[in-house]
Amino acid sequence: MKNRLKVLRAERDWSQQDLADKLSVSRQTINSIETEKYDPSLPLALKIGRLFDQSVEEIFTLEEAARRRAN
Amino acid sequence: MLTPILHRKRKAAEAAARALKDDVGGAIEQTRRIYGTRLLVRGLLWASVYLLSRGLLELTIPSAPLRVAIALLPTPFFIYYLWTWMKGVSAMDELQRRIELEALGFAFPAAVVFLMTIGLLDLAVTLSPDDWSLHHVWLMLPLLYYVGLFRAKRRYE
Repeated sequence: MKNRLKVLRAERDWSQQDLADKLSVSRQTINSIETEKYDPSLPLALKIGRLFDQSVEEIFTLEEAARRRAN
Repeated sequence: MLTPILHRKRKAAEAAARALKDDVGGAIEQTRRIYGTRLLVRGLLWASVYLLSRGLLELTIPSAPLRVAIALLPTPFFIYYLWTWMKGVSAMDELQRRIELEALGFAFPAAVVFLMTIGLLDLAVTLSPDDWSLHHVWLMLPLLYYVGLFRAKRRYE
């Protein structure tokens, strides 16, 4: 699953630790989501969406959907 | 000709060593954040009682009930240690829990394979109890857990 977490975080000038603290998760979790090694649970994805004031679909995209959009 | 290759290899080895250092440092930091010093203190307490118990059992104590009591002495300390660990797991976030699960998912089948192999080898050639009895072999089980933990952490780094 692709995501825009790193971009959204950078726009706000937050470090991974800042974001981790806001979401009550570890920095490793943020890093793993950003590097797309880990897909967050639905509650965490919803929390991320709420934090950035965006829908989950605007932040997370299935790879095939991202490919379709690129073509 | 060989120098650039060696240089690249050295760089790769240095990067791997740095990653390992970060990995170990990160794991220690994470454990410290979740458990404070509780896990370490209770682990040391259990290990001390275990070593004391082993030491006493190697002495010639004729009373069987006393020997059984000494043998059972570390058990409550170990349960206390495990309870601390389990409480820590419930305080972990979702990725950390997944890492723990993957570590156990590796350690459990690996332990089954290991014990089955030891059992069959013992039937085949009668392994020396000085090296392969349960009071040595159990140490492999936490070791397998830590191997599983290392693998799982690397996967998400």
